[in-house]
Amino acid sequence: MLETLLGSGNREKVLVFLYARQDGYAREISRFFNTDLNQIQKQLERLEIGGILASRMVGRTRLYSFNPRYPFTTDIKSLMGNAFKFYPQELQDSLVITRRRPRRKGKPL
Amino acid sequence: MKAVKNMNLSEFAVLVYNQLKKKGIRCVLTGGACVSIYTDNQYQSYDLDFIDETESSRKKVNQALSEIGFFEENRYFRHPDSKFFVEFPSGPLSVGSEPVKNIVTLKFPSGQLKLLSPTDCAKDRLSAYYHWNDRQSLEQALLVAKNQKIDLKEIRRWSKHENKLREFNLIQKLFNNNIP
Repeated sequence: MLETLLGSGNREKVLVFLYARQDGYAREISRFFNTDLNQIQKQLERLEIGGILASRMVGRTRLYSFNPRYPFTTDIKSLMGNAFKFYPQELQDSLVITRRRPRRKGKPL
Repeated sequence: MKAVKNMNLSEFAVLVYNQLKKKGIRCVLTGGACVSIYTDNQYQSYDLDFIDETESSRKKVNQALSEIGFFEENRYFRHPDSKFFVEFPSGPLSVGSEPVKNIVTLKFPSGQLKLLSPTDCAKDRLSAYYHWNDRQSLEQALLVAKNQKIDLKEIRRWSKHENKLREFNLIQKLFNNNIP
């Protein structure tokens, strides 16, 4: 949808994923969109170098989110929010509805 | 000129700034290095973040710095005789969501250096505290306030603009205690 503006479909996937879920890691994003992990990693790194995303380590996973100190974060989120509304309802739901509550280790379900 | 291995942070920053300026690359020092300069190294940073206002190519910056012995390593520039390292975060020059309007020029025996004003330096640190709850950044902002004249009213205005007025009100007393 914003591929022409953003220059890359994978960049749009990364940004819309982080817009919907607040944070995410490369494998999670690539699995969700069933796309190449290396390409997603590359986009995450580029966006971080550009100051748009920030990352931190959680265990052994590098978790990315929008950089709140980047001056255009509100505008980018607003743009992604508007684009998000045009995504198919099924995709919107699966981006937003995800288990975030804790799950005890060893729980069968 | 002093040998690079004997340079303190300010001298090292001036060395980099002047070399880049000579090559037409206009930069402003931001981040923790400004805290070091304004607090006379009470907080010691080794990371010099320059925002390149001319948005020069990486190649041009690399060429300019390699002339004075620097080499690039993982997007950082290092000098073999120094523990300091230089980075060029992407612009624009901003504190939170606002552009920086007031850039300060300090004069040192070895030359000039452009950097954030003490007030913007404090805002820059507070931005990290507000958004990431980084206590070290708050301590750095307080150190700047203790050592330099800062405009607390302006910091309050900016905090409000960043939707962080409640957070500012909680820490205002700390600033009042730190301002000489």
